[in-house]
Amino acid sequence: MAPTPVEAGLLVVILGSALATAVLRDVLGSIIAFSAYSLGVAMLWVVLRAPDVGLTEAAVGAGVMTILLLLTIAKTVRPSEDRVLASFDPKTLVLVAAFVLALGATVPALPAVGSPDAPVVSSEVSQYYLDHAYKDTGVENVVTAVLAAYRGFDTLGEAVVVFTAGVAVVAVLKREVTA
Amino acid sequence: MSDARRSPYVESTIIMTTVRVIAPFVMTYGLFVMFHGAKSPGGGFQGGAIVGALVLMLAFAFGADPTREWVNQRVVVGLLVVGVATFVGIGLATMALRGSFLEYAVIAGAKSSKYAIELIELGIGAIVSGVITSLFFLIDAGFDVEADAADAGGETPEETPGEPSSGEVGS
Repeated sequence: MAPTPVEAGLLVVILGSALATAVLRDVLGSIIAFSAYSLGVAMLWVVLRAPDVGLTEAAVGAGVMTILLLLTIAKTVRPSEDRVLASFDPKTLVLVAAFVLALGATVPALPAVGSPDAPVVSSEVSQYYLDHAYKDTGVENVVTAVLAAYRGFDTLGEAVVVFTAGVAVVAVLKREVTA
Repeated sequence: MSDARRSPYVESTIIMTTVRVIAPFVMTYGLFVMFHGAKSPGGGFQGGAIVGALVLMLAFAFGADPTREWVNQRVVVGLLVVGVATFVGIGLATMALRGSFLEYAVIAGAKSSKYAIELIELGIGAIVSGVITSLFFLIDAGFDVEADAADAGGETPEETPGEPSSGEVGS
């Protein structure tokens, strides 16, 4: 299936900013390129009808992550150099290329976007959620129904992971700051 | 080295005015995304990230130190605890009503499970926004290269466990 002009444009932006993130020598430039990459991915999620994921990507990836990274480089020493591009070890390049090829080889095995034969569409489980979610939980958004009701225990685990990680970082950094 | 000590904050009337105008809308949108996750795209994780980003935006406009004084750190850590307690509390409440853990339908009342889910989304939002806010303030306060070097005599600060020295403050 050929991508629509919007998808094609977004893919160009995403690939370009991802490459820029990797090859730019200046850390500040890398962070800005990474932020653009996140914004592109967020828009692609919305185009692919996954607005829940797009919202998260835009808020966390493009917004919060960028500010935290910028703060970090503001607090550390930034080497100033004239070179624009970073230099790469050829061995690293070969390894990365092999990794990309290995991952890319799996792409043809995926069903086409929106294909009626995709396992997600034809599966009994998805159909069960679509049929019963509103009756069982009273919420219209099936994603929320699955997250908070059917998989509520998983989500509790996720929330506790975020909580624990946050408290651990706060405890460690507080010690460092007040030491 | 001197570059590292300089505060990254630059006061700008344009940024301050813009942030002052859009901040209430961002807060409302964050709460909307949390509350409305049951009906439209969104939920606690997304709404919490938006509310957390609002605090970052305020710090961006007015400087991190005034914002830190404005946002009480104890309240932020309290938010994390309240969020987890809400989630676990609802789970235990359904068990107390002879249901399974997080079986919302046993709570009496029309659309009870919908309200329980929305309450849980609010709890998740509290956790996420609290983590983002406290991470931001801690990264901003810490890692002062020269102050750390001066405190610990050029070494990374290392102390005997369980006895944090309270005299010198790095920030």
